[in-house]
Amino acid sequence: MMKLTSEQIDRLYQFTRQHYVEWYDLQTELVDHLANSIEAQWQENPKISFEDALQIEFKKFGVFGFMNVVEKRQLALQKRYSKLVWKHFKEFFTIPKIVITLFSTVLLFLIFRNYSQVEILITTLFMLVLITFWISLFYQSRKNKIEYKTTGKKWLFKDIIFGHSSFAGLSYIPFYVLIHTDFSQNIGILKAAFFSLLFVSMALCEYIILVIIPSKAEEYLKETYPEYALENAN
Amino acid sequence: MKNSQLYKGSLNTIIMKLLEEQGRMYGYEITQKVKEITKGELNITEGALYPALHKLEADGLLDVEVEKVDNRLRKYYKLTEKGTTENVNRLAELEEFIKNIQTIVNPKLSY
Repeated sequence: MMKLTSEQIDRLYQFTRQHYVEWYDLQTELVDHLANSIEAQWQENPKISFEDALQIEFKKFGVFGFMNVVEKRQLALQKRYSKLVWKHFKEFFTIPKIVITLFSTVLLFLIFRNYSQVEILITTLFMLVLITFWISLFYQSRKNKIEYKTTGKKWLFKDIIFGHSSFAGLSYIPFYVLIHTDFSQNIGILKAAFFSLLFVSMALCEYIILVIIPSKAEEYLKETYPEYALENAN
Repeated sequence: MKNSQLYKGSLNTIIMKLLEEQGRMYGYEITQKVKEITKGELNITEGALYPALHKLEADGLLDVEVEKVDNRLRKYYKLTEKGTTENVNRLAELEEFIKNIQTIVNPKLSY
């Protein structure tokens, strides 16, 4: 049976890149698929050229080519990432970590209740969270880009971990809340409790997204991509 | 079968059933197996297969293994424990559905 050469495999990788598949993990799966199909076509008709066989198989993916596959893969991994964030977040509401969560919430609550310029304080705190978030985000994705330049391989889940764009959008929410909150009188118990809990939750999310998950990135990447360990060993 | 709308909702169940029987499979193998079993009547499109596999994987129903075969990497899918349990439920659901469709399409059979 005729098999594909290494050069032809490289050509298939190039082909997926030409059709907007940026990520190596997805390229690899599609390359194997295309290769299998081409070899199967050769078995039936040994005369068909490599490029013709490739075009025949590619047509089966429809008018949008690999686009749909890429999009759905992004959604699936995005979901996996959200689940990961949620898993870590829940840890802060179970023993033993809940002690830290409760302590900081109560402390904030007391400060909010007893500080006269509470509006400025709350706005400043949220601004701080936001600014540190954006700065770290910038540095992490830059570091990720540099890594990509040296390895030449982009991993979708890695891009999500170090780019976490889906969560960046959520960071504006507190400001909508702040704009619509009336601070004219002293802050009530309910408001104080709400803002202390909101702030602690946001700070926790930031800590999880920027520190905890990136520190375990290798582990999560190996879990998602068995080939990740294989590739990086070479 | 030309009308792919008819099997779209069952694609996940078909994939899981195959994986239960075969242990582990790769994408291309799944398309070929379905074609073989149904004698070419049912044709899973590539554009639908991979999204379905990736979704099942994200839901924790499938696990992946990667191996070097010939001069390329091959990604195999297999059922997780959760996937095996889920497979039983979905098969039962699908069978129930087929039965109901039969009574609608061919009501006399039910009497």
